Amino acid sequence: MNIMKKQLFYIVLAVVFAACANEDSSLDMKGMFSPQGETVNTRFEQSMAYNMTKVPIRIDMHQDTYTVYACSDSHITRKAHKNLDYFVNLYDAAEGPKLALHLGDVIDAQKNFPCADSILHLATRSLADTMFVTLGNHDIYFCQWPVFAQFFKTSVYWFETTNGTKKLDLFICLDSAEGSLGTKQMKWLRALLEEKSQEGYRRIIAFTHTHLWKLDASQGHTSNMAMEETYEVLSLLGEYGVEYVWSGHQHARQSVVFKGVNYLVLDATQDSEKGQSYFVAEMGEQVSYKYIDYPALP
Amino acid sequence: MKDEKKLIYMKRILTSLFCVLYSVSAAVIFAANPGFGDRKYSLTGMVEYSYNTTWGHHANFDIQSLMPINAHFEMEAKLQFSTVNVYTGVVQLRPKFELPVGELFVETDVLYKAIARNRMSDIDAALAVGYRMDYVSITLGVFCRVLDDWDRSWHSEDNYVVEPFNLLYRIEAFCRPQNNNWNLSFLFSNVDDYQMERMWQPLFGIGAWYDINEHCRLNFSAQCKPTGMFHLDATFYGATGRVGFTYRF
Repeated sequence: MNIMKKQLFYIVLAVVFAACANEDSSLDMKGMFSPQGETVNTRFEQSMAYNMTKVPIRIDMHQDTYTVYACSDSHITRKAHKNLDYFVNLYDAAEGPKLALHLGDVIDAQKNFPCADSILHLATRSLADTMFVTLGNHDIYFCQWPVFAQFFKTSVYWFETTNGTKKLDLFICLDSAEGSLGTKQMKWLRALLEEKSQEGYRRIIAFTHTHLWKLDASQGHTSNMAMEETYEVLSLLGEYGVEYVWSGHQHARQSVVFKGVNYLVLDATQDSEKGQSYFVAEMGEQVSYKYIDYPALP
Repeated sequence: MKDEKKLIYMKRILTSLFCVLYSVSAAVIFAANPGFGDRKYSLTGMVEYSYNTTWGHHANFDIQSLMPINAHFEMEAKLQFSTVNVYTGVVQLRPKFELPVGELFVETDVLYKAIARNRMSDIDAALAVGYRMDYVSITLGVFCRVLDDWDRSWHSEDNYVVEPFNLLYRIEAFCRPQNNNWNLSFLFSNVDDYQMERMWQPLFGIGAWYDINEHCRLNFSAQCKPTGMFHLDATFYGATGRVGFTYRF
């Protein structure tokens, strides 16, 4: 009996180590239990340092209405990226004023950022064009933040859409990849909302990876923020009139209205997922949005 | 859209049904078993130092009373006042059954948290089954959470939000038998006396007590809450240290 117990123990130990060491594993076992790379405060500081070197992004839509294309959780690998290809091609071919958002978990496992680069054409975009990316937990697994930063530069930023000199909407990208905004980002967010909510934007939209609610079992094993932080973030976003919060992470769509804020969660774009869809929102005086299923791709 | 509405109505009905069932069962038990039975009524006062990255450093003051109704039922009421303007009240009703080895118990909890600083409330109702032995205590169950905004507009889409099913777990291991006059314990759980976290948000704790005499007990506990464990990137979120004094009548 004792020998069996020992054997079982060693097998479990071997599986855990294999999962940690395997570079194709999508789960960073060590990262699940303790911080392995830069934590959110460090990422925030590095992002702000980068943002300081750039002028604020203003996208002139030349009219009051425009379209936002959004997708989330593409989890691409070198072998599986059909849906993200489809999304990017669709977005590039779309006519009219537009912008696109990716709500995090661009890649799965390790060493897949070059592949993301080739799909998203980052060299011609990287925050100067109209495709914006937020950081997901899979993007920083295996200490990959420096690689993410190399391609995407920053994980916390804001940009605005305009019609000439008329301000339209403000978009705020938040880093929630480790289930917390951290002290510095929370302070920055409060100050930013305090300032920007006075500037006459038509609406404020925040987008981030981690969703704030756990309404059903559809999210499976994806975790959220701690409750204290959930209360604080819900209150802050409501207090300053944020109209929409778009997020991903749970791989299943969801819609909640709380304190006047519409929380929308997107389906996944990952090839192997069931019910994959992307999201299209027409931004005018009102917002109308729909989830569109990806076609069955060969 | 119709399906979404149906789901919302179903959640409301289930929540209401749960509340009614809880109230009725509590009332029946009280009516059938007046008085405090053989076990001892006890009152506990606690002071906590707490830190988390959202609320920063703060202190909490706790009052807990244990009211044994008879050999098979006990009730606990708990209150917590926090310097960050958050107030929590908990009522627990615990039917229990002695087994040849250990004790089986059912725990029904209602936790109300008034988060005045954020002008919202969090109501949790839990139903769990537990098994307690000399050195280990295990509880497993489910709880339902309702978050409500104090400034909710009744004529808009704004609504309270129900998280109908969350898993509840609590595993505590003791160094000494639980009737010993001192003890040291280690805890892994997603709930504690004043909070119910979602299932993937565990708490790690250590606790100790020392009985000065038949009536007086000193309690100590400390707890660490990481965030992002299980499918996010884990990092430190908060910690709590607690010192308390219990008087058993």
